[in-house]
Amino acid sequence: MTNPPSDALRSTVRAPVQRRSFFGLVLDGFFELLNRRRLIRYMVVANLKRTHADTVLGQVWWVLDPLMQMGIYVVLVEIIFNRGTPDYPLFVFAAILPWKWFTIALGGGTGSVTGREGLIRQVQFPKIVLPAAAVVAGTVNFFISLIALALMYVLFLDRLSPWLLLIPVIAVVQFVFSLALAIALSAVNTFYRDVQNLLGHVLRLWFYASPGLWSFQDHLQDSPFLRTVLGLNPMAPILESYRNVIYGNQDGTHAAPEFFGLGIALAFSLVLLVVAVALFKRMEPAFAKVV
Amino acid sequence: MTSEQRPSDETRIEEPPLSDAELEAADRDDSAWEQEMERRHKGGSADRRSAVSIRDLGIRYNLRLTRRTTLKQSLAGLVRRSEDVKQTHFWAIRNLDFDIHHGDNLAVVGPNGAGKTTLLLALAGILAPSEGEVEMFGGTSTLLTIGAGFDGELTGRDNIDLAGAFLGIPHQEMARVTPEIVDFADIGPFIDAPLRTYSTGMKARLGFSIATSIVPDILLLDEVLGTGDQTFRAKSQARIRELIKTAKAVVVVTHDLGYVTEFCNRAILMERGSIVAEGSPAEIVSNYRERVRERKLIAESEAKRFASGTSG
Repeated sequence: MTNPPSDALRSTVRAPVQRRSFFGLVLDGFFELLNRRRLIRYMVVANLKRTHADTVLGQVWWVLDPLMQMGIYVVLVEIIFNRGTPDYPLFVFAAILPWKWFTIALGGGTGSVTGREGLIRQVQFPKIVLPAAAVVAGTVNFFISLIALALMYVLFLDRLSPWLLLIPVIAVVQFVFSLALAIALSAVNTFYRDVQNLLGHVLRLWFYASPGLWSFQDHLQDSPFLRTVLGLNPMAPILESYRNVIYGNQDGTHAAPEFFGLGIALAFSLVLLVVAVALFKRMEPAFAKVV
Repeated sequence: MTSEQRPSDETRIEEPPLSDAELEAADRDDSAWEQEMERRHKGGSADRRSAVSIRDLGIRYNLRLTRRTTLKQSLAGLVRRSEDVKQTHFWAIRNLDFDIHHGDNLAVVGPNGAGKTTLLLALAGILAPSEGEVEMFGGTSTLLTIGAGFDGELTGRDNIDLAGAFLGIPHQEMARVTPEIVDFADIGPFIDAPLRTYSTGMKARLGFSIATSIVPDILLLDEVLGTGDQTFRAKSQARIRELIKTAKAVVVVTHDLGYVTEFCNRAILMERGSIVAEGSPAEIVSNYRERVRERKLIAESEAKRFASGTSG
């Protein structure tokens, strides 16, 4: 009990929250994210330990879950609708893995601030770490579930392509996009809890509107308008790129990611991230009053 | 220093149950504490350096956004905006202006809803001022933080790290105090088991040990708390006293008026978000009790009038 006062707790002037400039808010937010890496890491570890910890099969679900989801889509599309493309299991699998990450990141991120009500009223800490930790946890989850992808290649060995090594590049684009959305949604959800309820439905519709179960290559050839509208979705080039490197072309040849589309999506996501961080930092002072 | 022997008996009050017996048990051999308190009582704030300076502080709640607004309510609010502008904001505290000095052991008393806890949250930096400013000359710590942010799947040890990271304590500092935390919490080999296997008491002890492991310059207390069983409560009371002794200034929000007169050297009385009186603990406590009595009389006479009105 003879510890000196911690310097970390030493605080300076707390003036009223003046209208900080847009870029001031953005800088604050990014600074906090960098500064609190250790906190984010602990939260991610806790999150990963919690996932499936209460089930019999435990961590096996990380691999089993996407495989079962794939099974359902294969039955639905190939058998019921009779519309599959060649090697359809791998075709859908290329969309299921990243989309699972996307839903975990947005679902966890959106409720991340409201889920920590007690803590927010008791400890002063940068709240932006909460959605960030949820997105990082989803990312780790994604890379672990690539084990399931390795299992798939036992069946589709001839589709194994060197472009697979570019998965991390595609993942970077998806990470930035998810992070931007999760940060914005977590702030808005604090004031309008409706967001959380809507999210599940929006995500489902979004998946069907994205080229996951289908591809631009064999659908919508005759409706350029729909193609353009659906192509504006940043998840479209991301999912198409995953499919290119994981599945390739229908005839079994290898395909490169859609670099151009990915570039546009990345640029858009970075702008979105800056706006989201500013929005979050602008709303943050009110969190403790609302939750 | 039992309560019965204290000379300032005009300020003794009956209502709140004092846990003095336990306090004394923890305190018996702690004569340094007594001297320190004696010094603070006599000299008041001898050291006039500011620890906290509050200037025209106001904290406003936006009622339209408070507590789970749904989109529907909010849209309805937009439509009706012109009519009820006055009703949308609530000042939990306003126009607060005072200083806390080194050596102050300040008690904040007042009825429920007076803004005491809001003030404490503002001092802790959890609520940002809507108006005015709060200046802190040193680090603060609330003992509000007990058990906040715990995660059931992590071990006790991992939870200590997590709590430290939330509080923003550097890793080396945390590594240094961890053995002490483990030792004080006294949960044996459970420290390496997941927190969900802990009993409520064990969780509380661990939370308390973490919350009190870092000694702040300015200690903020919401009620003087005791945790756990008899032995641990005595231990925790002793530790809180040690924190109080080491801190440069202490702010306590409490309904325990006996504690106020006994351990504080300054007090403020709050009502409806403002300070209505400030002075020595004895003055403030009697002032407060006077007001409570008056209010009770008014309420009783009104109840009587109402009763006779309905019967007659």
